[in-house]
Amino acid sequence: MLLHRRIYQFFIIYLMGVALLLLLKYSLNLSDYVIPSLIDIWHTGIDVFVRYFSDVMNTLSVAVVGQIVSLLLAFLIGITGRQATWFGSFIKVAAYNVQAYPIVAIAPIIFILLGDGIATRLLIAAMICYFPLLLSVLGIMAEPITEIEHFYKVTGRMRWQLEIKIRAFENLNKLTTVIAGSATLAMAGTIVAEFIAANAGIGYSIRVALYQSDLAKILIALFLIGMTLSVYQGLLEATGYAVRKGWARI
Amino acid sequence: MRFSCRDITFKYPDASNYVFKNLSFELTEPGFNALFGPSGVGKTSFAKIITGEIKEFSGEISTDSMKILLYSYNLERLPGWSSVGKHLEKIIPLSQKSKKDELVEAFGLKEFIGARFSQLSLGQQNRVNLIRYLLQDFQMLIMDESLANVDELTREKILLKIKDMFPQTFFLYISHNVIEVSKFCKQILVLRSAGKIPQVITVEGENYSTLQQVDKQKLEQTMLEVMNASS
Repeated sequence: MLLHRRIYQFFIIYLMGVALLLLLKYSLNLSDYVIPSLIDIWHTGIDVFVRYFSDVMNTLSVAVVGQIVSLLLAFLIGITGRQATWFGSFIKVAAYNVQAYPIVAIAPIIFILLGDGIATRLLIAAMICYFPLLLSVLGIMAEPITEIEHFYKVTGRMRWQLEIKIRAFENLNKLTTVIAGSATLAMAGTIVAEFIAANAGIGYSIRVALYQSDLAKILIALFLIGMTLSVYQGLLEATGYAVRKGWARI
Repeated sequence: MRFSCRDITFKYPDASNYVFKNLSFELTEPGFNALFGPSGVGKTSFAKIITGEIKEFSGEISTDSMKILLYSYNLERLPGWSSVGKHLEKIIPLSQKSKKDELVEAFGLKEFIGARFSQLSLGQQNRVNLIRYLLQDFQMLIMDESLANVDELTREKILLKIKDMFPQTFFLYISHNVIEVSKFCKQILVLRSAGKIPQVITVEGENYSTLQQVDKQKLEQTMLEVMNASS
């Protein structure tokens, strides 16, 4: 259900975008070189579909690993920084300040230091995805659920594992949304990294298409990126729903 | 065992008005006592001072040999990942296991023990919450509106059961129900606003227990005393 909704929502937005381009093309009488016709887009799609699909899968795999790494890190730091201690406050302040710095801006430094291989793409994807995730996890983990936690505190039963379990359980909806949303960030981070300097992935293919001024290829790439991301996010949401259903028997 | 407070003075940080000023009283023996007073007078703050949840106050609290003082309130929830029965099993000390079934039965919750907390009505939720506190090791339990949303007949049954099962324990029952506190409580601490002297007046309640007949005239007299003290 969630998966279907994601896919048709993407279809609507994509078709609206293409329709807008075609409207511009025909109202301003632009050539096929600037904005290709539907037939050109279709033929380009047939030509590059297999290659671009493999590129998108390559990008997605890096994004998924990057997202997992940033999720693990965000939970580790979020759980450590949830307490009202000086260390917790330090982590919160540091996270808020560091995330204000655009990670993309330091991407060239990472490419210079690590080269244009998979490690660089992975690192940039994880970094772009990490800070918004960290802020959400910190916010959730630092907020006491007083009406549940009170009993455990006054009876001396509260342990850090139980505290995290209570807060995670009470915020399952929020956590699922944040994790599904971070997939977009991880994908965007990977594509940006590929676009800047990598030698593989759909971002790299878009960069090549850009140099060729081939809008049809870019539109096909966007279509495949959007479809893949919609399916991935839909699957994440469905998994979140299954977890909620199993844990809370909703 | 006795419990006393002397010259308790407290105000919230950044507040200009005191919540308590030189508040003193004494509960001489265990039993079911009440803390009564109008809304906003500081009953919950006072309960939190007694149990140590609020520490920034001056004055002296003497708990005698009592070590564990618990505060429970009516908005508390149980985690939603397991049934009420499983939750109770997990948090009851071994020494209290035998009392669980008796309380569940008396509180009218037997058929709901397999349900999740969120599936219960507000009154049932409050009763479940109270049971888990009653089954802990404690010497004093403060029940802050713990029987809110429970019908009068069931409340009466529950109060009598608590009095029967825990005669040697201190209870401080926070309630706005003048009939209830006058009828079932041993001592009623009537809390008044900080400007009034004394800030707390102790009224002797009727302290009814199971099978005891109600003397309506005496009960009305106690109710009048409580109302006069709080005005």
